[in-house]
Amino acid sequence: MSDKIKQQNAELASIGDDYATKYGFRDPIDYFHKGARGINHEVVEMISKMKKEPRWMSDIRHQALDIFYSKPMPQWGNTELLSEIDFENIFYFMKPIENQQQSWDDVPEYIKKTFDKLGIPEAERKFLGGVSAQYESEVVYHSMREDLKKQGIIFLDMDSALREYPEIVKKYFGTVIPSADNKFAALNTAAWSGGSFIYVPPGIDVKVPLQAYFRINAENMGQFERTLIIVDKGSRLHYIEGCTAPVYSTDSLHAAVVELVALEGAYIRYTTIQNWSRNIFNLVTKRASAFKNATIEWVDGNLGSRLTMKYPCIQLLGEGAKGEMLSVAFAGKDQHQDAGAKMIHAAPNTSSRITSKSISKDNGRASYRGLVKVHKNAANTKASVQCDALLIGENARSDTYPTMEIDHDQVKIEHEARVSKVAEEQLFYLTSRGLTEDDARLLIVNGFMEPFTKELPLEYAVELNRLIELEMEGSLG
Amino acid sequence: MNNPTVNKTENRDYLIPEMAPELERGPRWLRDVRRRSREAFNSAPVPHRGLHLWRYTDPMTFLVDRSQVSDTDYGENFGAVEKIVREHVEHGNLAGVVTDLAGREIGFHGTEELCARGAVVTKLSEAATEHPELVEKYLYQLVNSACGKFEALNGALWNDGIFIYIPDGLVVEKPLHLLRESGLSGSAQYPRLLIVVGKNAELSVIDEYGGGSLDESQPSNTNSAVEIFGLADSRVRYVSLQRQAPGMHGYMTHRARIEQGATMLTVPLAFGGAVSKQNFGVILNGRHSESSMFGMLFGSGYQRFDNHTLHHHVSGETTSNIDFKVVLRDKATSAYTGLIRIENDARTCEAYQENRNLLLNSGTRAETIPELEILNEDVRCSHGATLGPIDPLSIFYLLSRGIDEAEAVRMIVSGFVIPTLQQVPKNLRDRIGSFVAQRLEGN
Repeated sequence: MSDKIKQQNAELASIGDDYATKYGFRDPIDYFHKGARGINHEVVEMISKMKKEPRWMSDIRHQALDIFYSKPMPQWGNTELLSEIDFENIFYFMKPIENQQQSWDDVPEYIKKTFDKLGIPEAERKFLGGVSAQYESEVVYHSMREDLKKQGIIFLDMDSALREYPEIVKKYFGTVIPSADNKFAALNTAAWSGGSFIYVPPGIDVKVPLQAYFRINAENMGQFERTLIIVDKGSRLHYIEGCTAPVYSTDSLHAAVVELVALEGAYIRYTTIQNWSRNIFNLVTKRASAFKNATIEWVDGNLGSRLTMKYPCIQLLGEGAKGEMLSVAFAGKDQHQDAGAKMIHAAPNTSSRITSKSISKDNGRASYRGLVKVHKNAANTKASVQCDALLIGENARSDTYPTMEIDHDQVKIEHEARVSKVAEEQLFYLTSRGLTEDDARLLIVNGFMEPFTKELPLEYAVELNRLIELEMEGSLG
Repeated sequence: MNNPTVNKTENRDYLIPEMAPELERGPRWLRDVRRRSREAFNSAPVPHRGLHLWRYTDPMTFLVDRSQVSDTDYGENFGAVEKIVREHVEHGNLAGVVTDLAGREIGFHGTEELCARGAVVTKLSEAATEHPELVEKYLYQLVNSACGKFEALNGALWNDGIFIYIPDGLVVEKPLHLLRESGLSGSAQYPRLLIVVGKNAELSVIDEYGGGSLDESQPSNTNSAVEIFGLADSRVRYVSLQRQAPGMHGYMTHRARIEQGATMLTVPLAFGGAVSKQNFGVILNGRHSESSMFGMLFGSGYQRFDNHTLHHHVSGETTSNIDFKVVLRDKATSAYTGLIRIENDARTCEAYQENRNLLLNSGTRAETIPELEILNEDVRCSHGATLGPIDPLSIFYLLSRGIDEAEAVRMIVSGFVIPTLQQVPKNLRDRIGSFVAQRLEGN
């Protein structure tokens, strides 16, 4: 066993020393369009004009910008780090190339190299039904399998969707997350560009996952992708997204908005792994609406970024709707993962489960901030929340702030949280079986994360395990 | 924007005037603190409703327009106090009774023996002049204007308070009972309690809050501050019983600090008032100190409860445990926020927390926010919370044994609160049991 781990560790060493070599490379490029820093109504108008958007969309953008101006910065969470964001120093719109490509060969060499390094085309060939790759503000490459197209499934970037299916976009855009939801959702609504749009017609089971990959390359870039996924009655979809960025000395901002709609009896599995470099502020708003008998399964991984504030939410709006959220956060050196989950029970016979796992290492800080809300009409609600935190290193910090607001008595709500370090007894046992302390620790951490990793598609699970092993390297004093 | 309360501080009626007579009470150092507290209160904005501990209760509830405070008619409530005192003293299970009539009159019944053994049980104002070395050292150390606007209010205006000092090594076998009665409609009172328990000494205190306005449309206001110090190896038990009248708006901040090897038991019990916001906190400041809290509240009618607990592990090798039970019926609501904070240099700590909410009918509302802030890895910490109705299976079982439904509910609720009741001194246990029974019957 020990040999196997040693071999694995050797493999690990060859992966690269850290993020900088694996994902942290950057492309020196000339942009087709690189706007000015800062945001105002002219910038918003320019984005809208370049995209040749209908008037109603640019109206929404301008309104949202006013909301952004009027809302104060959050007065909670890590206000110290938040105050470092300089909205005037950010590029709000960067267009790397003129037109989106559908053939991998037509994608410019430098971008191709980037996504090649990240393994995207390889993954596409192996197990995906469709891929979308976003570079800075726009989607540069997009493809989907022919048979899926024939079934009537629409998988596009948001900009194209707005051009080609304006009626669907108009019907659902901003219905799950209104512009006024919070300051960063307002900013996204004003400056959004790119993101995925998926529509699955009624009664279709999309058997292969669809994937999007988001990449920030430039310094002081603000990426505001906007994703809208609608799965119609009785259909099923699995969507995966991943994110990385190079390492710069100054910070970039990622403020995405993701809206999911599962109509009656629909099923959505949404898997997202955020592995931004440690100079990204990741302040995203993600929410799903589940109608009658619909199911949302959410798998949420937070590994990268400097500060993440992300509280994915499932609104159970129809009778019998189900929500499940499985999230994991890894807070390494100087990182603060302020993540969590929200479940809003607004209909009878709904059920939800939140499982949150966090690891804080060195001086990293992982916070769980969650909400379970049961509205007056939501009889026979079941909700359970479980938070486990593992602390590695004497300056690691873990916070748990769960909130439960219950307006109905016919409910069953449970919450549990545990915080611990790697148990001495477990270490002792494993080392007595011949493992080195390093290996033993790794084994324990992997075991802790297993309920999460086993929910990931194979490629992601392997990737995650490697990342954790990388993070754990030399964690012993 | 949608919060009209924020700017009301500008309303001069809520400010403490410069010439308020309370500010002139006490020796010079005390007057200085009172003045500073007044400034802190007057300059602090009304807490924003979005703020962490104010999400569920409107802070305006606890602001009092001084020009409207009535200073008359306390008689009716105080008659009842006399009766309770007689009963307590007669059954001989107490170390003494202290009555506090809205701060205007503080009486000591049967405390002579305790004082003869070296303890000090006196008015806080007297202690400030007679035992300045103790009072100046401890008063305002834990509850002061840094805690917030309403703690500053009490800090400026308390009049009068109770001071208890137990010298090193003195073991007080029987509980000391404090009976604090509030005035009727339109009254405002600022009781304050300071307890110092010396090294290796032992004390049990029952702190009972009664009285207040009977009329919800004309509320009365109580803003109370409690500071308790448990020195090394001391053993302190503190029971807070809030059974105030239906028109009372109550605000209370309790903080205790315990040193090496000390143990502290805190039992917050709440039954009364229209709106009751209570904040109980224990700071574990010395190695091997141990704190446990067993709380319960029972809300009925339109009562609102907003409770907080804090276990703050400042020192390593400390242990804490919280068990907080909530029972609600009719349209009552409760918000419970419990924080465990373990500092970076507090190594090898254990901390547990449990909050259970029993909702007896629909229309009740409960919030629970058990929080953890853990700043080092060498801890064992867990918390759990549950909310829900009585399990229908349990009712079914009892019905099948020939017990009628009302009795079945009574049995289940009694079972639910037993862990808390077991922590209360025997003579109080029956009274608490009867409060629970009364509320179940709808009185």
